[in-house]
Amino acid sequence: MTEHVFRETTAEPSTRSVPLSHLSLELGHLYMEDIEGGSERLRQHFERVQPWVDAARADAAVGIRGRSPRISTCFLIDDYFTRFSSPAELVPLVLGEAARAGLVVDYLARESGCAVADKVPLAESIAQRLVESPPPGSYGLRPPVRETGWLANGERVQSSRASRAMTTAAEWRPPRETAARRHSIYLDVELWDHDKDGRRTWSCPFLASVWQLARLGLLRNEGEPVLSPRPWNSGTFPREWDDMPPLLQLNTAAAPFSAYRTCSVLPARFLPVEHAVRVVLDQTDVDSGALRQITERSRREGASVPDAVADRVAYVFYRGL
Amino acid sequence: MRPPTDAADVVLACGEVRTGLLPSFQPLDSRAAAHLLQLRADERVRVSERPQLYALSPDTLTGVDCRLPAVDGAKVRVVGTVAARAVLTEGRVLQATAYFGAPASGPDRRQPWGHYLVRPGLLEPFGKLPEQAVAKGVLRGPQKGDLDLGLIAEGLLGQLRRHPLLDQNAPFKSAGTRLRWVARRAPDGEGPSITRFTLAEDQLRTVELRIPAAQEASAVAGLCEDLALHDWLLTTVVRMLDTSRLGAVGGAAAVLALRPAVDHLLHLWMPTARVDRTLSPLWEVLEREPGFSRQWQTSVQRIRDQLALQAIPLLREALASR
Repeated sequence: MTEHVFRETTAEPSTRSVPLSHLSLELGHLYMEDIEGGSERLRQHFERVQPWVDAARADAAVGIRGRSPRISTCFLIDDYFTRFSSPAELVPLVLGEAARAGLVVDYLARESGCAVADKVPLAESIAQRLVESPPPGSYGLRPPVRETGWLANGERVQSSRASRAMTTAAEWRPPRETAARRHSIYLDVELWDHDKDGRRTWSCPFLASVWQLARLGLLRNEGEPVLSPRPWNSGTFPREWDDMPPLLQLNTAAAPFSAYRTCSVLPARFLPVEHAVRVVLDQTDVDSGALRQITERSRREGASVPDAVADRVAYVFYRGL
Repeated sequence: MRPPTDAADVVLACGEVRTGLLPSFQPLDSRAAAHLLQLRADERVRVSERPQLYALSPDTLTGVDCRLPAVDGAKVRVVGTVAARAVLTEGRVLQATAYFGAPASGPDRRQPWGHYLVRPGLLEPFGKLPEQAVAKGVLRGPQKGDLDLGLIAEGLLGQLRRHPLLDQNAPFKSAGTRLRWVARRAPDGEGPSITRFTLAEDQLRTVELRIPAAQEASAVAGLCEDLALHDWLLTTVVRMLDTSRLGAVGGAAAVLALRPAVDHLLHLWMPTARVDRTLSPLWEVLEREPGFSRQWQTSVQRIRDQLALQAIPLLREALASR
């Protein structure tokens, strides 16, 4: 086809690409309860993580034809649900304990950056991209996830019917997982609630889903990358969480933050959260431009990714402390 | 391995366009239009100002798992997503389209949902797709439990009409139209063609097309939105002329009845302004028969003549008072 003579840039969609590693390896999540245990707890965490990091590196090298894989590591600190300590005190502690176990944290993120980063409401944007998996018989009625704030992996029991049905056990109708293999493992995830002032608070699994999409290089705002890493070369950190960029690049020599696949090494108690993350990722219609770029580039590199976004995510759940 | 969504795999694309007047006294400017159609916070509304103001929303998806409408007792279950999008032309005419493409055959089992989500706007049949029966079924409309494209398009239209930006005060009365379209794949080596355009009752129009492989369903949706827009304009102006009862009423009443056409509609006629170049020749077919632009020009001329006639007494009055 011939080129168009007249163009209007506001009429043309465009998606900027981001640099990509083969693997984004998460060395942990840090919550209030972890820090209450002091540096001892952190030390134990990184000691448990270390052998799995080696395993994940070896695994990433499989299937890319003998070249050495680009792998970046990251660590997430919760400053969204509870604010504790300060970056100035906490970050050096984390980095020090990681180094003691022989681990390098390339990128450090704040969890509140998954809600809003650089004034872009990431969580809100992803909430608008949820497309519910339709139970059989769905012929076009718009599902109500946006109103309810709940997302399931199947068909829930209708509340009005349920309350009636509870009166007689014979009428009870169970929920059903849509992709069940004979027996259901039904999961209904609360994505947000409201505080007493009516402000929306995103749930931990929902923010963790945004975090996964960031690591998979699938977040865009009007075609532009968001939650991009900012270099941080100084050894000192701010006194306030809000003064710290949402995503820091601590290691100048690090491979790119986003990657074709992710692996997270987490304590086994995170399993329910990450099951919920999978339910969310499985029903998120990600930016199609970003998705296409990654499909094409990974194929050119001989490191094809699975079609489904949720299948690009892997975990190691280590034994409890 | 093929990329997940390959237009060449699609043998049938179907859609429904709902077209109507924006319930706002003033037309929206480009900023307001972009705000209205911002269906997703992180995706830009495509706005263009030449040759007329046109805003196109991002696609939104609705997951479905149901039968497709089909005639002759054919039954086919599909799973996937229906795409829906909205268009606002000159800040005045609002359209919503729901559409999908379907390959000739699909797996016999439902796949994990992530498989469908990376193929937006694609419905995969269980087994073979009875193309012809489905094409006819979609044009006829859904039976109970069948995929309902109209429901999805109307849902989006309703959501936009309730937008707080709109004052719910349309400048004149008009009726909405529905246009259902099916596009089957043209034989290899043949260009696109329009095989039928039918005006049915109850404001329903149906269009049958043949489209070469590799033509995106979204481009076909764009063509059909253009057809629906111009059909709606023509329908609305012709109805205005009918109800104005030219000659039977006093001059002032006719002016009042016809004035909205001049204020809001006459400048909107611009066939194929947005249509994909490879598809725009299809308009030529409709220009030959039934001659959309011919009827439009005639109607416009009648309105202008009428308004000119009404101006004569005023002129006479003005001259007399000199």
